[in-house]
Amino acid sequence: MRRVGSGGPHPPPEEAVRTATEQAIGVRQVSSPRRSLPAGQWLGGVLVLLVIGLVLWGRRHGFGLADYLQFLVDGLQAGAIYTLVALGFVVVHRVTGIINFAQGAFVMLGPMVTITIYGRGWPLPPAVRLLLAAGLAAGLTAVVGVAVYRLAVHPARGASLLTRIMITVGAYVALQGVALLLWGPRSYVLPAFSTLQMADRTFLVGDVLFKAQSLWIWVTAGVTLALLALFFERTILGKAMRACAADRLAARLVGVRVDTMATVAFGLAAVLGAVAGIVVGPLTRPAYDMGLEIGLKGFVAAVMGGLVSFQGAVAGALLLGVLETLWAGVTLAGFKDLFAFVVLILVLLVRPHGVAGGEEEVGGS
Amino acid sequence: MSRRMCGSAEAAEPRLRRRRSRFLARLLLAAVIPVLLAAFPSSSTASHIYKIGFIASITGPGASLGEPERDVARLLQDQLTSARGVVGPDRVRHAVEILIFDDQSRADTAASLARRLINEEKVVLLVAGTLSGPSLAMVPIATEGRTPMISMASARAIIEDPQTKRARPWIFKPVPENLHSAQKQAEYLKAIGATSVCHLYENTAYGQDTFASAGAIFPAAGITIVYGDAFDRTATEFPQVARVRASGCRAVVIGSIPPAASVINVAVRERAAQVRIVHGHGACSPDLIKTAGAAAERTVMPCGKILVADQLPAGDPVKTLNLKFISDFRRFTGGREISTFAGHAFDSLQWALIALRNLPDGLSLERQRDAAREALETKVKRWAGTHGFYTLSPEDHLGWKAEEFAFVTVQGGKFLILPRDQWK
Repeated sequence: MRRVGSGGPHPPPEEAVRTATEQAIGVRQVSSPRRSLPAGQWLGGVLVLLVIGLVLWGRRHGFGLADYLQFLVDGLQAGAIYTLVALGFVVVHRVTGIINFAQGAFVMLGPMVTITIYGRGWPLPPAVRLLLAAGLAAGLTAVVGVAVYRLAVHPARGASLLTRIMITVGAYVALQGVALLLWGPRSYVLPAFSTLQMADRTFLVGDVLFKAQSLWIWVTAGVTLALLALFFERTILGKAMRACAADRLAARLVGVRVDTMATVAFGLAAVLGAVAGIVVGPLTRPAYDMGLEIGLKGFVAAVMGGLVSFQGAVAGALLLGVLETLWAGVTLAGFKDLFAFVVLILVLLVRPHGVAGGEEEVGGS
Repeated sequence: MSRRMCGSAEAAEPRLRRRRSRFLARLLLAAVIPVLLAAFPSSSTASHIYKIGFIASITGPGASLGEPERDVARLLQDQLTSARGVVGPDRVRHAVEILIFDDQSRADTAASLARRLINEEKVVLLVAGTLSGPSLAMVPIATEGRTPMISMASARAIIEDPQTKRARPWIFKPVPENLHSAQKQAEYLKAIGATSVCHLYENTAYGQDTFASAGAIFPAAGITIVYGDAFDRTATEFPQVARVRASGCRAVVIGSIPPAASVINVAVRERAAQVRIVHGHGACSPDLIKTAGAAAERTVMPCGKILVADQLPAGDPVKTLNLKFISDFRRFTGGREISTFAGHAFDSLQWALIALRNLPDGLSLERQRDAAREALETKVKRWAGTHGFYTLSPEDHLGWKAEEFAFVTVQGGKFLILPRDQWK
């Protein structure tokens, strides 16, 4: 509120929107390093102590090195999925300032559509059929993402940021409802990519179990990250989107169509969500309501990274995945979700611009 | 009959023919009516229809349970219509109408539907509640309305006041509970010599109840739960398995329903191959095998007899009843798989019909409800249902014992009865 006041009685609309954004999500472009640096070190110290404490606590249960390595592998697998979901949040947030809570619905649509198309039994080799189904599902989810923006969010562009965020929550609920009508409440099976069967291939490295699907998840997350980097660094569209992210008003002044960029951002976020859902599909049993929790975890990861930085989102997601798995392993796993949301609150209180994302990330890299 | 006569009379043009045919029609009617009356003494004297209020969770999260239950209600309505209702103890025939409603898996909707059926539709009794939540919401309404209610959900609190531990006078249910599952599991664990076990349960009301039930039953059988933990229905990583390995338990009891039960089953098999897996009766569905695949092999669980009806000894009335019900259900639904939930609806509605068959004619609605309640307590004795034999009494409104469970194992992608002498 103070910033709006200091901007004069009639701040330019873009400025007002940006300020509101920052206030809504707690991002403040803190300019004094003296305040934020100790906070960062403090939090880093806390994290290291937390890990040491959890590892020591785990000794009580008789965990050995193999068990901790297993937690690490499982945590990195969860982290890779959270990464893909978190990137979707970041893309939309950077370009539009909105936190798109419909992201979870995109995560659900990916595997559900894939399963439906795959199950149609087109006369193709199963591997080709699965790839085709996944591609079509990602494309279809992109269309849904664009539709969410054009039909629900864009018409309300005059409304406050909070209103538009609530619209995305509404879009999530609506999409989940449509999914319930289309697929019913039952869970479906997406075959593991390596075997094209329900059962996945597993192998032991030492005493640590790897699943073939985990490798698929890591490879997919890596390739997606590389493609995103290329897109934002090398293409005109990507650069225009970065311009919007850096300063929407300036971007508009130099002729970037901000609305078009926002549409692209929603489509891109939908694809990221769908891909996350498809690669995680074989590990769980996809159902119409799978999006809520995975979407919220992705959101926590994005917030840990400061909501604007891709590197931050990746680091936040991996950190969340590993810490969460370790925490669930040494305490009772029933408290697993508690951990994510305690982290969210801590991050918002202590370091609202993110654990991993430094100040230089804010406003574009 | 007479309407068709009038029709043909009007079609005839000349007056004479019309008069003659009208005379013939009267003669025919005069002859037919006494014959009809003699053949079916009840059909003309039955003044009113018995109504059963049927409330299931046909949509919402409980839909996979409620949908087959609705199909069973429709099937029985069909059979009742062709049998022209039920005959009372005084040989008076009453048509029966099953009013089917959807509570959308919501307690508030269930409660208002129950109120409406009791007060406005004047049902004799209710067969209501797919899920425990909506069932519990309807309990006080049925009690206050002094209307018998038969629930299709499992929680003990539906039929028994948790404070006084006394049976709720108006509420009945034919559905086994987790306590029964735990008893059967304890017998098995004792037989194989597993005295320290782990318990993993899904983080839902059902899962927590399986854990509480195991905690209540296992210690008395000399079995210690060395590690018990919840997991999320949608989890993809299971750090719990490390604890299972570290605690060295010989068996893991899983309290979950598919598909979550399948996912954790796979995780335990992958990393703790030697550990026995014992499911609860929530896993007794073809979905377990469909979604867990090879990992489900050699797992064991207590199940209602309907699941393995074809393997019961010949001549067992439970087998006969189940096979007939299953084939009727398949024919009626166009080949759908039977589920235990369809069985619960079948048993509940059969109890309702037993009550109606024991009502003398000419009672007021209040007396009908009273008499129906009493009939349930006194007339359901060693009655064969889809899950075994039931004997109701004023103290026991479930009337079913853990021994009635079939103990099964998964072998070659099928549920097989595992006789006690093969527990090792």
